[in-house]
Amino acid sequence: MKLGAFLPEIFKHLFKKPNTVCYPFEKIGVPKDFRGMPVFTSSKCIGCKLCVMDCPAEALEIIRVSETEKKFKMILHNDRCIHCAQCVDSCNKDAIAMNADYELAAFDRNKLKIEYL
Amino acid sequence: MEIKIPIGPQHPALKEPISLRVTVDGEHIKDVDIRLGYNHRGLEKLAEQKNWVQNIYVMERICGICSHSHTTCYVQAVEQIQGLEVPKRGLYIRTLVAELERVHSHLLWLGVAGHETGFDTFFMYTWRDREIVMDILEIISGNRVHYAINSIGGVRRDISEEQKKLILGSLDTLIKRTEYYANIGTIEPTFVARLDGVGPLSKEQATSLCAVGPVLRASGVANDVRKDDPYAVYDELPFEVATATSGDVLGRVIVRVKELLESYKMIEYLLKNIPEGPISVRAPRKIKPGEAISRYEAPRGEDLHYVKSNGGDKPERLKVRAPTLANYPATVVMLKNMFIADIPIIFAAIDPCVCCAERTVQLIDTKRGDKVMRFSELRKMSIDFYKKMDLSKKGNLWKL
Repeated sequence: MKLGAFLPEIFKHLFKKPNTVCYPFEKIGVPKDFRGMPVFTSSKCIGCKLCVMDCPAEALEIIRVSETEKKFKMILHNDRCIHCAQCVDSCNKDAIAMNADYELAAFDRNKLKIEYL
Repeated sequence: MEIKIPIGPQHPALKEPISLRVTVDGEHIKDVDIRLGYNHRGLEKLAEQKNWVQNIYVMERICGICSHSHTTCYVQAVEQIQGLEVPKRGLYIRTLVAELERVHSHLLWLGVAGHETGFDTFFMYTWRDREIVMDILEIISGNRVHYAINSIGGVRRDISEEQKKLILGSLDTLIKRTEYYANIGTIEPTFVARLDGVGPLSKEQATSLCAVGPVLRASGVANDVRKDDPYAVYDELPFEVATATSGDVLGRVIVRVKELLESYKMIEYLLKNIPEGPISVRAPRKIKPGEAISRYEAPRGEDLHYVKSNGGDKPERLKVRAPTLANYPATVVMLKNMFIADIPIIFAAIDPCVCCAERTVQLIDTKRGDKVMRFSELRKMSIDFYKKMDLSKKGNLWKL
């Protein structure tokens, strides 16, 4: 038993740089496989809607664009998205990928609705 | 004179909504009544409306800190029903994330213990070092909190050689820091004096009240699901069950620090002995009819999931017994004859996760004539009630 056993450690840190960063001015990078926001490539999509079926947050919609052509658009409700990347795993054609964007906040939730064509 | 004081549901000492009605005589606690149900989210009912894959993410959100525990427990039960054989490499990665999660949970708890005892420097330092393990988890899974590494039949992401090297490198720092904290925890007199003898729970009490996890092990019972009923690859791992004999809060600190050191050993073993091969097998969209119970040693204690399938693409029933729920009866005993000032630390010592443990129980008073009714029955009853009523008479409509 020794009084002030923690003191040497504390004094050592007086001369060290802080462990945090000034966030909006200085940013720590994200790792390679970070799960950011889903990004959709329309040319690869075949409209099987497996992603819509497996999305736990019901954040995705796949809509056919034209009657004649097999072309699809995706509506992403980013206010509901939980960034689990299940849609990426469910897609057999690699039409969905995750980007590294993490600053997704907005003042209006309607602005978070994104349409990919 | 005995006075009843309410602590919670909103109280600065408790981080989550739970109500303790404490009967005190002066400063001494005579009796405690725990009231739950302030944070019920209806997750079990929600799980019945989502398919098997979606449910992994629902289960993950039961708890923010033991998110991997709940998914693994659920996924194990589903694999048991379907009879899926998970590849060895998948199980190794699952166990690796489980142990990393235990490290981050225990470091978090150590910080909370420091904070509740007024040792805020300790809190700051442990939480700073917790960032190392959070970063490791982010590298492996792509997220700091909800790792989403499990899938039915294996794991979703493989681990590369580079990542292995990186984790082993950061592990050295973590081991050094934890050994330093273990040292501080035993020689810093203010910290030891604050925790020694607080919240006693004897071996007999712990077993008879069905306490789980570090609370049970601190009372001298070497009970660990990882050893008693090994799942994943725990039967291959060299580790010892950490126990303490004192049965007080200091014992619970020691158990958790010992477990941290055991976890580091396990992580090192897992990384060095991970076999090559596939990481998962394909699971069907519909699971065979059947039922299963899965046990898992979460950082807080034994987690239990019951899953019942009727052959469809959704579970028929999913029951979750979170470890905190099993520790509530023991908390009441621990709090008795202690001081009011000890409530935060004793309650924090079980590492409570209140909203994980919120499950509904319907109590029906048959003497009073209560009964359970479906909404359709209630509607029919109200229609009949108004049909019988003579609305032409004045004052008949609103009888008050």
